[in-house]
Formats: sequence, C-alpha cells, structure tokens
Amino acid sequence: MQAFLDSLIRNAGHDPATWPWTQFVYLAAMGAVSFAVINFAAITAGIFSWAERRVAARMQSRVGPNRVGPGGFLQWVADAVKLLLKEDLVPDEADQFLFRIAPYFMMVGFACVFVCLPFSHRLIVADMNVGIFYILAVTALIVVGIIMSGWSSNSKWSLFGAIRSAAQIISYEIPAGMALMIPVMLAGTLSTQGIIRAQGGWPWQWYVFNNPAALVAFLIYFISALAEGNRTPFDLPEAESELVSGYNTEYSGMRFSYFFLVEWGNMWIMSALASTMFFGGWQIPGLSPEHFDALTGGVAVLAEVASLAIFAFKTLIFVFIVMWLRWTLPRIRVDQMMNMCWKYLVPASFAGVLFVGVWMLIVHAAPWIGLVMRLGLTAAGALGVTLFALRTLKNIRDTGDKFDFTSNW
Amino acid sequence: MAEQLAPQRQAPGAFDSYTKPVRDTAKSFWEGMSITLSYMFRKPMTTQYPDRMSVPVSQTIPARYRGFLEVDMDICTACQACERACPIAVINIDIVKGDGKSRPKLNMERFDIDIGKCMYCGLCVEPCPTGAIQHTREFEGATMNFNNLTLRFVPPAAAPWPAYKVPKGSEAFPRRPLGEITRNLMHAWDAPPPPFPTDAEIAELDKKADHGKPKVAGLDPAAMGRQLAAKALEVKADKPKLQKVLEEAMAGTDCGDCGYPDCFGYSDAIAQGKESSTEKCAPGGADSKAMLETILVSLKTGVVPGPAQPDAAKPEAASPAAAEAKPSGPPLAQTLSKEELYKVVLEAMAGTDCGDCEYPDCDGYTKGIVYEGQKDLDRCAPGGEDSRAKLYEIMLGTKPPPK
Repeated sequence: MQAFLDSLIRNAGHDPATWPWTQFVYLAAMGAVSFAVINFAAITAGIFSWAERRVAARMQSRVGPNRVGPGGFLQWVADAVKLLLKEDLVPDEADQFLFRIAPYFMMVGFACVFVCLPFSHRLIVADMNVGIFYILAVTALIVVGIIMSGWSSNSKWSLFGAIRSAAQIISYEIPAGMALMIPVMLAGTLSTQGIIRAQGGWPWQWYVFNNPAALVAFLIYFISALAEGNRTPFDLPEAESELVSGYNTEYSGMRFSYFFLVEWGNMWIMSALASTMFFGGWQIPGLSPEHFDALTGGVAVLAEVASLAIFAFKTLIFVFIVMWLRWTLPRIRVDQMMNMCWKYLVPASFAGVLFVGVWMLIVHAAPWIGLVMRLGLTAAGALGVTLFALRTLKNIRDTGDKFDFTSNW
Repeated sequence: MAEQLAPQRQAPGAFDSYTKPVRDTAKSFWEGMSITLSYMFRKPMTTQYPDRMSVPVSQTIPARYRGFLEVDMDICTACQACERACPIAVINIDIVKGDGKSRPKLNMERFDIDIGKCMYCGLCVEPCPTGAIQHTREFEGATMNFNNLTLRFVPPAAAPWPAYKVPKGSEAFPRRPLGEITRNLMHAWDAPPPPFPTDAEIAELDKKADHGKPKVAGLDPAAMGRQLAAKALEVKADKPKLQKVLEEAMAGTDCGDCGYPDCFGYSDAIAQGKESSTEKCAPGGADSKAMLETILVSLKTGVVPGPAQPDAAKPEAASPAAAEAKPSGPPLAQTLSKEELYKVVLEAMAGTDCGDCEYPDCDGYTKGIVYEGQKDLDRCAPGGEDSRAKLYEIMLGTKPPPK
C-alpha cells in the first residue's frame, strides 16, 4: 500500500521522502481504505444474511424472503434500516459502560482481520510478513467482546453464552493455529500473499492436495473456524433453545446488529482464509505469479480482475458450505464439543505438523514422490466430489422429484 | 465393576472405538449433506399465497370446507329455520307478511349474516329445506370496515323480497353456483368505508327511525285472523276446505319444524281435530299463533270475535312492576330527603364502579336514580339480585319482578 502511494506521489512530481504532505497523504489513504474495508465487511455480511435465509429456505423446501427487490435481494437493506432505527435499550441492572462498549470490541477484532486478508493479486490493505500470526492474534479480541457483553448484561443467559464462547474459542484456537502452521511450513512464510504465491493455479498445486496431512489440516482448520465463528454445529454460545440468544440476549437495535454483522462477516473471513491457505487464493491457472507481476497495461487490469473473481468465487463456495452445514447439522453438546477438540483435533493437528516436517524432507530428497502424491490426492478429491454429486442426484430421483433450481422463486 | 471394565480397556477394539466417531461423522456428513443439497435443487413445496398462485386459493381447498355462508335468495322459503338453529344469533331475518293476494304472504325485509361473529358450525345449513343456505369456500375476511362483515343477502333496493314457494313434491331446487353470491357481496368491501355520521346526522336518523311502530306495509294479523275465522265458520263441516283456511294462517314455507312434513300436514291435523297446539308454526311466529287461536276459538264458540279494545289492557301493562308487587308500607323514596336517599341508594349498589349501568360509576347511577328520575333499577350487574332487591325496596317499596 505504501509503495503504491509513494509511486503516486512520485508521479505527481514530488519526492515522498522530502515532500511535507507525504504523511497527510498516508493518513487520507488510511482513512479511505479503512472506510472501504469496513463497508465491504458490512455489506457482505448483509448480503450473506439474505443469502443464508434463501439457502436455508430452499434446503427446507420453503421459498424464503423474496419480496423486497429482485428475488428479495434488498431484504438485508430493509433489515439494516430497521435495526438502525430501533431503540437501543440498556438494561437497568447492566454495567452501562461495558455494555455499551462491548460491541465495538467485537467490531474491532473483526475489522482488523481484513487488514491482511488478500482480495486479489495486488488488492490487499497491508501484506504483513507476520500476516497469519496477526490474524490469529486479532481474532482473540472477539472473545474479549463476547465476555464483556455477557458479563455486563447481568443476565444469566448472557453470561452462560459468553462463558461457553470463551471456552470454545480458546480451545479451538489451538487446532486452528496448528492446522494453519502446515501451509506456513510448506510455504516458508507467514505472509498471506507469500503463501498464495507459493501455491499455483491448478488444483494439484494447491496445498490442500499437497499431502494427506495438509488435507486433514484443512478439515481441522475448517471445523475449528466454524467453532470460532460460533456457527452451527458449534453455536452453543447462542443456542436459542437453551440460552434465549446467548451473549447478545439483552442487546437491541444497532448494538445487536453489530453482533450479527460480526457473525456473518466472519463467514467471509474463515472462507477467505481457507482459500488463501489451502486452495491457491487468487492464482490464475497457467499464469505464474512472476508472469503476473510482469504484466502491464490492459492485460494487467484484466488479469487483476480475473484473480479477484477467482478468489471471490472460491471464497463464496466456502461461504455456501458454511451455510449448508448450518442447515444440515444439529447442534452438538458441550461435552461433545470439548471431546472433539481435545481428543481428536489437537492430537491430529500436532501429528500433522510432525508428518509434514518429515514429508518435506522426503520430497526434498525425491521430488517425484511429491508429484505423485499431489496428483493422486487431486484425483481422489475429484472422485469424491463426483460421487457426492451423483449421490445428490440420486436423492432427488429416488423421491420421484426432478432437478429444478429455477422455479418458485 | 472392575472385572468388567478391565477387559474392555484392553479389548482389541480400542482403536476402533476411538476412530468410530470419526467414521460416523464422515458417514453422516456424506448422507446428511447430500440430502440437504438435493432439496436445494428441488422446487420448494410451499406456495406463495396469495398473489403468486397458479389457481385461486379458494379452489385448492376441499369442497366441503366451511367458509363464509351464502344464501341463494331465489330459493329461500323464509322459514327462518337457519335463524333458529344459529346458536349465537348471527343470522337476522326480518319478515314482512302480506295477505297472499295483493302481495306475497311472506316477504323478507332483511336477511343478514354477520360473518364477523359466525363460528362456522354449520348448524344453519342442516335444517334448510331447500339448500338455500350453504357454506362456501371463501375465507378471506380482511376488510377496512367492520360493518362490511355483515353480508346483506336482501339488497336494500329490492326489499321486501318475496319468499320462494316450494312447488308440491319437488325434491331438487335450482341453485346458483356456490360462492358466486358471497363473492359478489365481498367485492363491495373494496370500497372505502363510509364516513362516520356527524352528531346532526345521528339525530336525524334517530328521528326517522320508527322504533316499535308496526310496519305500514305489514299485515294486521288480528284483522286477518277475524277474516279467516269468518271463512272457517262458513266451511266448518267441510274438512278439506277448513284445512285450506287453516293453512292460510300458516307461514306456508313447508319447513317441517312443526313435526309434520309440510303445512298441509299440520293444518290437516288441526282440521281433523288431532292436533290442538297452535304454537307449532315457527316461521309464522306469534302472528300465525294468534290467527290459529282466533279461528279455533270461533269454531268452538261459533262467534267471530270483534276487534279488541286496544286501550283496555294498557294501563296495567304500563307498570308491570307495580301491578305484580305487594306493597309493604311506603317506600323509603317517599319518606327520606334526597340527600339521605342518595346515601341509601349508593349503599345498595355493588360499588365496583364498573360502568356496566352506562353511567361512569356507581355515584353517577345513584344520582341518576335519585335526582334525574331514572326508572330502570336493573342495571347494577355486579350487585346482581341483591342490589336489585334493595333498589326496588328503596325506590318502590316492592319486590323486584322476576327476570
């Protein structure tokens, strides 16, 4: 980002090192970029809220919100306006100051992640050399916000939800962190852009198909990310049937909408991170990053847009999977959640890190083993997806129904 | 316990039992996710009521659904069987009688069904002799004006509406397609509600309203009774002719409410002397009863009674309470001063200020009785029989008349 601004200043005929307004340009750019990023987060969260309701409806053989705008697309605008105009209630017995400030902690922890999430080849706010470490650190702020809201609400439901959430997020930070270490080890860097560049455009160049441990690491990461984002089947902190609404029970109006903005925005974060770490991010098949850097003019713009589209496509697929999971699986119990984390995910992620260390030595000695493994795993993955699609079609046909995605919208 | 646990721990299935949840998870993901995804790519079962349906919703519900009631006035015999069957007085029929010559014998001034009150029990449909009243499949009762929920089957412009006379021996009746009439009445709901009348307009309407006065167009049952009695005396010996005279006194709807299949059966039974009750003609009501009595009395005595002296009975009827009561000394109302009387009367009430008496509170009702000459002493609902007895005792010195 800084380099881009410096080049702009140089183009305007000034030397950024000596020009007195350089710092002001930086400040203005920071303001503009943070405005854009927070709006991107808010708008995607809003659109996801609509998309989730439509997906949920179709999976339950319903229609879903379809009246506001084409296909009901503007429903989220109506909901946002409604939430903003509602009264912001603070309970009498609540800790007023903490109650008011807790949603902002959530928002900060959430918005800060976008700083080093890539969007395309060049589009990233700041490509830090400690990117993944930074993301893991900043997401922990959300726990502070949740605990704060639960405690300050002075309601037993809120507190239960907050405590569950803290236990859950702290437990699942460990397998998530260990699973993300595997792509870091393979790429040799913590920078998000560096990890994407170390992969390639074709599926067999993705880290998910690099070796069996990486495939398992992806699954572990995805499960842990669901748990950290309080998504079903790990939505214990806001289990409606048990805790009313969990830590946000006492909230209303705009502050309530912050919590939900964070929840739906988190879907983008976990999905973008998955496609960054395991699925080659914005890489265009057949175009190496070095070639990409060297492109100029209209072709460069075209390639940039293509990389943005590829990244968004991969991310949206994961967002869909997250929604799909929510409307398939029931909520698990607290003890099952803890069992799964400490008895399965933590040992498996540690074993995976060890395995990848050894594997890298083997591949270094005999590169053809790595190639065979990558191709084999890719073929297995393709086979799995095909079998799954056939199974789904069979499910449709077995009930005498037919494939129909377009009617009754 | 220890013996049982120890071999299990060492069982060869330890690895299996550790990996079983993983295998189960994978399997249930495979099955469950493929099922939810398959629903994603099917047509949703729900329909988009009300505006995005391939057929109107009233055609998709069962034929015997009990929706809004509908009356086909063209085959309504005005027997009022439905009105009598209705447990909650939703149906209101006003009958105007004619002599059968210059105008039909039975006419309906009004046939209203308040579907806002209707509980769709269907008891009115069952006794209908011609099937004129039926449930339709219409059910959408949202309206801008509550009064619109009263369906008026006699159009005010066409009133009074002559009753349908059932041809002898007919078993099927031509009925308009079910639902058409009610749907047309409901279309009027789309019109904006009428404005609230001003105070001046209400006063005007009150002046116009002829409460209690007999309808000018109506029949004088006493006069007709005397006419029929004279006729009956002439044909006293000829039973079939007597039967015809008697049948004329009846409503002629062949409703069967009297226990005979039709009006002929009932009148024939009276003419033959097998039936002595004159009260069985439900559609004819008090009029038929009076006429039949006049006829039977004149048949017995051989004399047609002259016109009654309407003024003779009136003074007694004017104050039934005074007539029935047995005075026991002068009432308190005449001995106490107004202030004292006010206290005593207030004491007699329940004191809940419920407002049921149409005064704002007990104080208001008491003042009404003591100072403003309110004659109605029956209004204290929470006080019940107790308050009533006390009030009558104080104000009139009598026991209250039975309710």
